[in-house]
Amino acid sequence: MSLLAFNDVHALYGRARILNGVTFDVDAGERVALVGRNGVGKTTVVNTLCGVTRIGQGHVEIRGRTIKDLRGYTAAQNGIAIVMQGRGILPNLTVEENLLLGTATGRKGPWSLEKVQDLFPILRERRANPGLALSGGQQQMLAIGRALMANPDLLILDEPSEGLAPVVVDELAALLVRLGEDGIGILLIEQNISLIHRVAQRFYVLSKGAVAESGSLQNVTRDELERHIAI
Amino acid sequence: MLIQILNGIVYGGLLYLLAVGLVLIFGLREVVNFAHGALFMIGAYIGFSIAAMGYWWSGLLVSVFAMALVGCALDAAVFSTLRKHDHIVTVLVTFGILLILETVVTKVWGKAYLTYPVPPLLAGTVSIGGSPFPIYRLFVIAVSVAVAVSLSLWLRYTRTGLYIRAASTDARVTSMQGINVDRLSLIVVGLGTALAGLSGVVAGPLLSLSPTMGNYILIDSFIVVVIGGLGSFAGAFIAALLIGQIHNFGAVYLPWAATVLPFMLMVGILIWRPTGFAGSRT
Repeated sequence: MSLLAFNDVHALYGRARILNGVTFDVDAGERVALVGRNGVGKTTVVNTLCGVTRIGQGHVEIRGRTIKDLRGYTAAQNGIAIVMQGRGILPNLTVEENLLLGTATGRKGPWSLEKVQDLFPILRERRANPGLALSGGQQQMLAIGRALMANPDLLILDEPSEGLAPVVVDELAALLVRLGEDGIGILLIEQNISLIHRVAQRFYVLSKGAVAESGSLQNVTRDELERHIAI
Repeated sequence: MLIQILNGIVYGGLLYLLAVGLVLIFGLREVVNFAHGALFMIGAYIGFSIAAMGYWWSGLLVSVFAMALVGCALDAAVFSTLRKHDHIVTVLVTFGILLILETVVTKVWGKAYLTYPVPPLLAGTVSIGGSPFPIYRLFVIAVSVAVAVSLSLWLRYTRTGLYIRAASTDARVTSMQGINVDRLSLIVVGLGTALAGLSGVVAGPLLSLSPTMGNYILIDSFIVVVIGGLGSFAGAFIAALLIGQIHNFGAVYLPWAATVLPFMLMVGILIWRPTGFAGSRT
């Protein structure tokens, strides 16, 4: 049974159809990449999961159960944490308060404030600072730390490498692999080929709001993946 | 002079009680609630009806509780659907609610001015700096300070307070953490309208009751919210005290300009800081 599955999902913003029958799934502990150029509907997948875009046809399953009424909180309450594009750091809250927000679902698990601060010591050091006082890389740590505080079974990251220095992207790749090995499923929504290749085991290429290609990354070189995305 | 300052604090306290409700509702629902002054007025009339039977304190409690229920009903039936519409729609709808509530009050209690009694426990005066000062006005200051401190502690140190502060900044991100923002809004709007009811009852003995009693104080409350910064509780507190002083000193020393002074201050502050004292939104 998949942790998350999109089955022939057609999604709409108002009357505009953005997704045209997207089908993909992520199993427990699996690292999957959803890739594609700008504007192909990658972020709409997240928005659909959060109920921002309306499903016109098809359905979303979480742990095999069809979720009919998707709301902003549905994913989190079902063990899916989302690190959104732009990171979603709340500027009026301190670093520590941003982290504590991640515990809202009350899910038990290995991650606690202390453990997240051990993973990212800068978040302990700057716990009383406003979230937006952090650098881009530190804000990404905060966003991932907040997601881990929810003790998720699946972590969805939307363009996490955006605006990060290459050295920070390297650290991010190592962290995501480690989290995957610890049993957290990863859905990486990205267009950074290097990061995708280092993190993911499987990939789906989105094009014009539908899955155009999919497969195992073991059988695909970076150049081939780049060509798939360029189509 | 001391008495003038205290009178300014009394008016500032009333403004704070009303403005903080507007801040709460705007923060979560992004609704500029023009009906808030009418809720203040209804709260005063409910309290008055029970106080007239000799139960002043029960009137206060019933009014606060009833207005909390009205707030929850408003949120569920009106505000939750308004967030999908333009601000102009919310302004028109809440203005419509204001007119409906004023009509209801006119039908039930009439248009005549009514006098709200002071509770016997708080009747009389105390000497402050050699001048008599009504005990009831000290009570109004105490209520305002108690609400400001309690609200500040609640928002700062409780889980619900954290979620409210988060949702006031970005409801979508907050919701994605697993928080049901609609349920949170029910609490917040209920609290905001309960404070309007509290403000109405507490203001009752200081003002004459009439169906339009909420209109003037609502305008000053909007000025407080704008000067303090949209969504800022601390900003609203400082701005309420400031407008209270300006209102009072203006009435005594510059009566010809008293009504425009708060607007002049608002324009000056918005030129200096478009987000107000402590706000992050324009």
